[in-house]
Amino acid sequence: MNFCKNSLLLLVLFACSFLGACAQDTYPVNGVADQKHVAFVFTNARIYIDYKTRIDTAMLVVREGKIEAVGKALKVPVDAVMIDLKGKFVYPSFIDVYADCGMPEARKARVGEDGYPQFLSNTRGAYNWNQAIRPETDAYKLFSNDDKKADELRKLGFGAALTHQKDGIARGTGVFVVLSDEKENKCILKDRASAHYSFEKGSSTQDYPSSLMGSIALLRQTYYDARWYQQASTNPLDAEYNISLDAFNKEQSLPQVFEVCDKYAVLRADRLAKEFGVQYIIKGNGDEYQRVQEIAATKMPLILPVNFPASFDMEDIYDGAQPTLGEMKHWELASYNPWYLQQAGVPFAFTTSDLKDKKDFIKNVRKAIEHGLTEEQALRALTETPAALLLMQNQVGALRPGMVANFTISTKPIFDKDNILMENWVAGKQFIINDTEPKDLRGIYEFHVASLPVLKASITGELNDPKLLLDDDTAKAKGSISRNGKFMNISFELMRREPKGILRLSSDPDRMGSLSGKAQLPDGTWVPWNAVKVSELVAEAKKDTVKKVKETPGDVTFPNRAYGWHTKPTAESILIKNATVWTNEQEGILQNTDVYISGGKIVKVGKDLASSPELKVALAAGKTRMLDGTGKHLAAGIIDEHSHIAITRGVNEGTQAVTSEVRIGDVVTADDINIYRALSGGVTSAHLLHGSSNPIGGQTQLIKLRWGLTPEQMKFEQWPGFIKFALGENVKQSNWGDKQTSRFPQTRMGVEQVFVDAFIRAKEYEQTWKKYEGSKGKGVILAPRRDLELDALVEILNNKRFITCHSYVQSEINMLMHVSDSLGFKVNTFTHILEGYKVADKMKAHGVGASTFADWWAYKNEVMEAIPYNAAILHDEGVLVAINSDDPEMGRRLNQEAAKAVKYGGVTEEEAWKFVTLNPAKLLHIDSRVGSIKAGKDADLVLWSDNPLSIYAKALTTLVDGVVYFDIDQDIKLREEIKSEKARLTRLMLDAKKNGDKTQKAGVSFEELYKCDTMLKNY
Amino acid sequence: MLNLNKNTLFSILVLCCASSLFAQQPIPAKPQAKPILLLNGTAHLGDGKVIANAAIGFENGRLSLVADATTIRLDKSKFEIIDCSGKQIYPGFIAPNTTLGLVEVEAIRATLDNAETGSLNPNVRSIISYNTDSKVTPTVRSNGILTAQIVPQGGMLSGQSSVVMLDAWNWEDAAYKTDDGVHLNWPRMVFARGGGPEAEDAQRQAQEKGIQKLRALFNEAQAYAQSKPEEVNLRLQAMSELFASGVNQQRLFVHCDDAREIVSAVKFADDFGMKIILVGGADAWKVADLLKSKNIPVILGRLHALPMREDEQVDQFYQLPARLKQAGVLFCLGVDGFWQVRNLPFMAGTAATYGLTKEEALASITSSTAKILGLDARLGTLEVDKDATLFVSSGDALDMRSNQLSMAFIQGRKIDLNNIQTDLNQRYRNKYGLK
Repeated sequence: MNFCKNSLLLLVLFACSFLGACAQDTYPVNGVADQKHVAFVFTNARIYIDYKTRIDTAMLVVREGKIEAVGKALKVPVDAVMIDLKGKFVYPSFIDVYADCGMPEARKARVGEDGYPQFLSNTRGAYNWNQAIRPETDAYKLFSNDDKKADELRKLGFGAALTHQKDGIARGTGVFVVLSDEKENKCILKDRASAHYSFEKGSSTQDYPSSLMGSIALLRQTYYDARWYQQASTNPLDAEYNISLDAFNKEQSLPQVFEVCDKYAVLRADRLAKEFGVQYIIKGNGDEYQRVQEIAATKMPLILPVNFPASFDMEDIYDGAQPTLGEMKHWELASYNPWYLQQAGVPFAFTTSDLKDKKDFIKNVRKAIEHGLTEEQALRALTETPAALLLMQNQVGALRPGMVANFTISTKPIFDKDNILMENWVAGKQFIINDTEPKDLRGIYEFHVASLPVLKASITGELNDPKLLLDDDTAKAKGSISRNGKFMNISFELMRREPKGILRLSSDPDRMGSLSGKAQLPDGTWVPWNAVKVSELVAEAKKDTVKKVKETPGDVTFPNRAYGWHTKPTAESILIKNATVWTNEQEGILQNTDVYISGGKIVKVGKDLASSPELKVALAAGKTRMLDGTGKHLAAGIIDEHSHIAITRGVNEGTQAVTSEVRIGDVVTADDINIYRALSGGVTSAHLLHGSSNPIGGQTQLIKLRWGLTPEQMKFEQWPGFIKFALGENVKQSNWGDKQTSRFPQTRMGVEQVFVDAFIRAKEYEQTWKKYEGSKGKGVILAPRRDLELDALVEILNNKRFITCHSYVQSEINMLMHVSDSLGFKVNTFTHILEGYKVADKMKAHGVGASTFADWWAYKNEVMEAIPYNAAILHDEGVLVAINSDDPEMGRRLNQEAAKAVKYGGVTEEEAWKFVTLNPAKLLHIDSRVGSIKAGKDADLVLWSDNPLSIYAKALTTLVDGVVYFDIDQDIKLREEIKSEKARLTRLMLDAKKNGDKTQKAGVSFEELYKCDTMLKNY
Repeated sequence: MLNLNKNTLFSILVLCCASSLFAQQPIPAKPQAKPILLLNGTAHLGDGKVIANAAIGFENGRLSLVADATTIRLDKSKFEIIDCSGKQIYPGFIAPNTTLGLVEVEAIRATLDNAETGSLNPNVRSIISYNTDSKVTPTVRSNGILTAQIVPQGGMLSGQSSVVMLDAWNWEDAAYKTDDGVHLNWPRMVFARGGGPEAEDAQRQAQEKGIQKLRALFNEAQAYAQSKPEEVNLRLQAMSELFASGVNQQRLFVHCDDAREIVSAVKFADDFGMKIILVGGADAWKVADLLKSKNIPVILGRLHALPMREDEQVDQFYQLPARLKQAGVLFCLGVDGFWQVRNLPFMAGTAATYGLTKEEALASITSSTAKILGLDARLGTLEVDKDATLFVSSGDALDMRSNQLSMAFIQGRKIDLNNIQTDLNQRYRNKYGLK
């Protein structure tokens, strides 16, 4: 370490004093010219000319920063410096494709910096309206060589890096540099090497976007804007001048690198890529193994970090109870991620990015190798793949004539545990990492220090990081050992014998390996010493290999957390016998009835179906199983019209009054435990809504609760699409604190105007497009700018998208019906609608449905006249009524909430049950598929232990598409499995701590529960 | 059955609101004038017993007769007889740990009287803020909750609670047991990950300091209680009775959920010889043996809650009562909040679905609650000489399908079961000409 510092200092001094003399061609020379054209010839090496080809006893000729020749028995140039590398290994230097060295740090914005809204970008000039869209940022212009960071990477074996400013959603271009200490002019290999994107707004202080779906919408709109701008550039007078869009267009031809923060975001980026016909290289997060099949199917290459999580310190049983099984499983499986991707044929490169301590890099790659990754693939991920991803394979990543002379010299194969990296040559310049090859000193020694009695000690530990263990019997002392360049410092603290104190030994540099030199006694006397190796560390070495024996890790489950599946479930053929069947059809509630399901559909409803010829065959073939429904109730699955489960990173994009461009469908997650919990309460479909913080919120997403499948696979097929509107206190920011008083609207008067304005703009927009489509100049003149916000509103005007509107008091309900009537659209559903009972007649006349709470009230001013009789009155007045949850807890007890309509207002049980099944299906336009029990409909069914409206009823089995996604007996088994799996992982973590692995304190990371009215979280 | 209810409801409405159809607020009932006999209902006594054809008599606000009508001979002439055939009779449900009357509209600051500023306020008293005219209270009692413990919130020592009857002209009238305990929110000991080493240190320090601060205060309070100093310190004075002995000893309600917090709180109380009641207790099942051995009862939080941890079983809270029952720990059910308290009966219903018998579940919102709050001499069961605080429901009151009150009495006073919501219901049913 000390040596390195010294040599670094020397190098820096050297570089500084001759600055201008030996650097770049265009600079004036201070003193005499110092151009050197000599060749360096490396002989007798084992050379990897690429990740898979090794040539032994080979020669490498380097001149002027490039490789001149490589191979066996080459002709040696006359002007060569000869370097013998007998026994050494030469590899192409590594390439880090996701570095940020030499980049100025982006100032991180604090959330809600001054607490006041910021509607537009603070960047001055003809740039994009949004501060997070900064494609005009060119890393090559910002690049300022930071040798501290370059040196850090060189020491790991890296010779080149793609570096860019990791800030914003469209981040601009990256620059490809060699990791030299030369002036920037000599480091840049390619100026505009890549273009970068992410879903993170970074340092932008602007409010929009505040959510993940907002980021996605912004990027999507930017693609459309850029395309429009490209067309407009031929008619400059028709459009505006926009530096950002211009830059965005110009960098489309570069490799497109997209950073994501989890496995589902890989799939989100892929959806965007397909929409715009672009190819992304994904900078992943390390959890891709959890959805490896789907990620492989995207065909996108990955850039992988190796920041494997530290194990939890599980010694304390209370703290140890907090980490989730999912987190514990990820600890175990993260280092298998490269192996999983290798198996799935996904091309990937490694990066040091995201590592807290870059020194862990090689150790972690080695761990991945221990866990199945081949060394060849590991090397490929650091050389050929990154080079190819950046279209730089003719310059870096291999050692072929004409390529940049970036290579390392090491003592052992590069991923070997005992390997010492000696030198890293960057663009033909030598950087010494270790100037002495450390001898393996490990063994048991007798130390003879002057006339003192013999001290017995062993040297253990890593080759490059030895440890001194004293033999207790003779020494009764503590000791330490360290390297200082070529010197070795050893000290003994003598406690029980003379001379008491600390004895310091230094080995002579020229005697390395034999261990002898000068020592100083505690009293300061100088004496000679030597140490004799008496035996090897046999026992220790053995222990080491035993430890390495690979244990089989736990399965990846779907999702990879508690209650996940080992294999994805499939649809069954089931005959449910002799149940009380709540058909929700004209037949009503049928006693002692059978229901046969197959292929995901309800096939037949009737009595004694087992004796029908069709079923007899199926049952005999053993392809259909029987489920006894005696004494039980079979009902259609519950549909929650208003839910916020399974949504990731923000339910609201409440930063503007109109955000119809954002889509919940972009941010569905399949990992939310509340999906499973809802299934346990008999829910089979949930309508995932944007929050209620603005009048025109985002597009909603209907899902089926197919626990274990991917977000895309959960989406309800062929569904018209809805959008969330909202009225009242949330949209006028009444309960957001005293600073939020400037975003329009702040009153119900303003809310009306937002709707009127938005729909007038939408109509004009539609007209503009119609005019364009019908004009003779179509394709010649500039097409109108596509506006995703208005597109969604046009869909509403054309009955292609439907509204569910958060609403409370009668005045605003009345208002929206007036606005919609006057502007020619319909409100499909009023959700919450707690004062609906006051305008039930008007709602009936408008034809709008109601989706309400059973008994919530008193949480804010606008719900002070909410009554639990609301549902009953609306129903009795002829309005289509549903009861929803808006809450993951209540979401799994909706059967009980429906029962409250029996208690408050005397709705019949049969009708009350429809409030959570058939009626929400009708409101969502899916009643032809779900919501009742009828042949031909989807087998989304629940078997209840009792009358489903009763507090005493439990959901026993919940089926979606004929697949059993929840079963109460299976659930008990899963609990046992979770317990034993956690016990196994706890044991491993305790062992890891004992072995000296880094740990993190076990604690809790709180789940995010989404609910509409929690202002802190902006729902 | 339902039609009958509607009709009764309607007639009551008409009777009560003769002058103006929609009263702002039900009028508190007059004292019981005449002995009343509820005849032939099914009486659930609250202690596990059920009498099928019951004769429940009460006069001057006290129960005078609890018997099987088929086995006794009575002089019916002295009673006003109410036929309860086919109906269910229950002791009034008791809601512990609620902010009813302290909060009117959650989002409006001006209506919030539940949490004083500062962290050590043992001297503030909830009874002072208790608003008998809250519009929320009548919506709660119409589901069978007739008594409630009104609890202050916020800080570490949030103040003293009082038990009130849910029908009164003012807080003095409402008070049933004033200053029945001091409430301590035990410092959070669950470690939150992800803030980096500095934040982790800060967390640890805050936690240690919190407990040190508490210990210092309790030491001082104990000394103060013994010495009766001349200069009054309101804080310490308010805590004096925590250190009294025998029946005079005030209860310390300790609010916490995590197992480590429970264990620490129990040890803390032990050191001071205090009588504590655990409130919340999500992890109580893990340390049930400790609670049992120390005789510490538990007021459970809302059962209709998601598990605290992702991996925990879906019905974690639903099963908690049965687990504690099995371990021999005394517990009752609560619903923290105010308007939400009207769903207390259904928490008991859930407990019955997940392992308790229906009568055990009933006890967890009647007799057990009374025992834990020290009200059992007069409340919690239908027993002679206890308060005539009870109600009649047309069906099982623990199930929302059938919880339909036809009448309710607080100390024999027949209370008005209407509320703003029934009024609005009627008003708009009339508007639309609905039944």
